[in-house]
Amino acid sequence: MITVWGRKNSVNVMKVLWLLEELGLDHRRIDAGGAFGRTRDADYLAMNPNATVPTLVMPNGFTLWESNTILRYLCRTQPGGNALYPEAAEARADVERWMDWQLAVLGEPMRVIFWTFVRTPEAERDLAAAARARDSAERLWRMVEARLGETGFIAGGFSIADIVLGCFVHRWFALPVARPDMPVLRGWYERLLHRPAYRAHVAQPLS
Amino acid sequence: MLRILGKASSINVRKVLWTCREIGLPYQREDWGTGFASTRTAEFLAMNPNGLVPVIEDEAGILWESNTICRYLAARHGRTDLLPASPRGRALVETWMDWQATDLNSAWRYAFLALVRRDPGFADQAQIEASARSWNAMIGILEGRLAATGGLRDRGGLHARRHGAGPFGEPLAGDADAAAGLPRRHGLC
Repeated sequence: MITVWGRKNSVNVMKVLWLLEELGLDHRRIDAGGAFGRTRDADYLAMNPNATVPTLVMPNGFTLWESNTILRYLCRTQPGGNALYPEAAEARADVERWMDWQLAVLGEPMRVIFWTFVRTPEAERDLAAAARARDSAERLWRMVEARLGETGFIAGGFSIADIVLGCFVHRWFALPVARPDMPVLRGWYERLLHRPAYRAHVAQPLS
Repeated sequence: MLRILGKASSINVRKVLWTCREIGLPYQREDWGTGFASTRTAEFLAMNPNGLVPVIEDEAGILWESNTICRYLAARHGRTDLLPASPRGRALVETWMDWQATDLNSAWRYAFLALVRRDPGFADQAQIEASARSWNAMIGILEGRLAATGGLRDRGGLHARRHGAGPFGEPLAGDADAAAGLPRRHGLC
């Protein structure tokens, strides 16, 4: 059976759990990271020297880390995966650029806002930094708003680019920050909420 | 001919230029970015709404995000030595590309902007030291990987050069040391 190491409130673990359910793949999950620790243990570091979650272990023992890479690997190897990750070079690159954009651009301001309001005691919050991050995030979600206006999903049909950004858009709508009206973004979020796997693994109270 | 938009001093542009040279792919490069043509113009933003370099344009259209561009070019030109065809081989390359985009990049940026680019917005000594520590921890992870495999098959070479050239201390020796030096990374939320 497929094993996923990682606590379920990690945004990066959520991506993998969501995809596994979309593909109908049985798996077991083992808590690690955050309060659960374990990621600095020697046996964990042997799987993932970066000490992060998630780590994926396939039934044949193949071990992989980095959540976006895990999504692409599962789509390449598991039945039904092609529908979520197109094979043509151009279409594939279109999906991948939005996945990379989450890593390189969107992730940081969303991390700051999330960490401030969910994981930092009120007295210790750096609200100025959170406000700057919110401004950045608003600009970036406007990019997604414009993109969705052209395509309905992030890159053509529903794909792993929607899974990656969908994990973050729940946080955007759930966090206590000012949000200007972005009806296309809201409509996409509501479409994602129709997916049972999204409700089960992502659209949960923040912790 | 392939068009590459971005100044050659950008580490992300360099990834693309290096990939093109490895493939033997001719290109025309245009200077865009800080100090050159502005990426905040409507013309540029219509190509990449992020306002970042590099951007490429080929007969199929526009593409941005440097790691995606490198994978796209290798795939289009059948360079399975740079990007393996097997899902497993490919995933092991992609892991390190994603790691560069997240953990490695978050670690090094502050120290580099402070000590090399002398950016006045990056002058906090405690943050410089924290960044240098994190950067060394990340380079330690890379060291451990290279010791295990003899090579990453990756473009981390650009980064290692930047680390080696900087006043940032010696990389740690291996996996265990690197892990011990890891800062808590809130990005894992």
